[in-house]
Amino acid sequence: MKQQTMRHASGHVESGWHKEVLPRAIRPERPHPLRTLVFLTSIIILSALIGVSSAYILIEREEPLDSISVGAWKAYPTAGTPEADPYSVAIYTRGGYIPLASGEGLSLTARTDSSGQALDPACSYRIAGRTPTARLWTLTAVDGHGRLQQTMPGRNHLDSQNLLRRGDGSFEITASAQIKSGNWLPLPTNPAPGSGLRFVLRLYDAPVTTGAALDGVSVPDIDRISCP
Amino acid sequence: MTLSPRFTLTAGALAVLCLAAVIHILVVLTIPQNVQHSAYDDALTYGPDRQFNLLPDVRPGEEALPGLDPAMKHAICRFQLSAGPVFFDAGIPASFWSIGVFNQAGETVYSLNNRTAGADRLSMLLITSEQLSILRQNPPANLEDLIVIETETISGIALLRAYVSHPTQAETIENAMSIASCDVLG
Repeated sequence: MKQQTMRHASGHVESGWHKEVLPRAIRPERPHPLRTLVFLTSIIILSALIGVSSAYILIEREEPLDSISVGAWKAYPTAGTPEADPYSVAIYTRGGYIPLASGEGLSLTARTDSSGQALDPACSYRIAGRTPTARLWTLTAVDGHGRLQQTMPGRNHLDSQNLLRRGDGSFEITASAQIKSGNWLPLPTNPAPGSGLRFVLRLYDAPVTTGAALDGVSVPDIDRISCP
Repeated sequence: MTLSPRFTLTAGALAVLCLAAVIHILVVLTIPQNVQHSAYDDALTYGPDRQFNLLPDVRPGEEALPGLDPAMKHAICRFQLSAGPVFFDAGIPASFWSIGVFNQAGETVYSLNNRTAGADRLSMLLITSEQLSILRQNPPANLEDLIVIETETISGIALLRAYVSHPTQAETIENAMSIASCDVLG
């Protein structure tokens, strides 16, 4: 009994010289299990949110990465082929798109006008110039998801064989929801807010089906005429 | 052992970024396996397999398949090479027509238009390598005139597009497209 009390007493004395508050770096802090769990869970939830939403945004934009730009127009020559990048594979299979194959033609898409401003179905645009050489081409106005919209005359396209041209072979098209003289590409009469607008120029039997051949070809300019 | 809060936060942020990148890649890569309906599945709604089925005119809100050209008439055919080589035959009175053959994943297998076909009539044979070696032992008389495409694609779709320059042509072109053949050779 005596010895035990002695030890106790000496123990007190031994720890007595320790400082009560240690510097934080060497403080023997026990990991808090709940805090660690919350920390790890939030890492997993946050990364899942970022990973899924970034993938969704990229796929939903429907813009394959592997693109070639000419003026305001973009072509995706590898989309829908075995050489396509994973994003265009995801976009094309998710939408169930059947691409325009290289032996058929090449499709060019414009999401902006020539100054880089996003196309707006409420505005009017002038599409003028020349197209790359093709046996036949069609120009279609679709919404931001590639779908056709109701227009006043019930048509959404123009084609090269029913087009008024200038003496030098160039042309001028007015894209507008209201009736225009000359070459009129009707735009949707009642576009839903934020529905977006794209012009699709499909070149059939064109020598430029491969991307490299698109260097230096002339494409029509898209200029905004007016907006309400 | 214990870590300073700043170190823990940095490590946590890095972990979030790495894990997010992995999840992003996984999501993008698994989308093709998880789509509810592919163009191959959708094609079945327009008629039976191994024949060209005319798609309805491309109009707002009633597009048969996304991204079709409203200036064109389309006919689609679902084929399976397991039943034998598939013979495509069509004579379309349009100034432009083209055919694209796509596998089940929607990738282009082969495509041509009426200029590259080299003839007014489309005569094309889609065949696997084994079927071709069998066919060569007893070749049909017109094999020389056919465009023969050797492929690994077992099932897929063929999409025929024809340009209608004037509405008066529409009926003639529609008739020619609906009698176009996409059937097992024989």
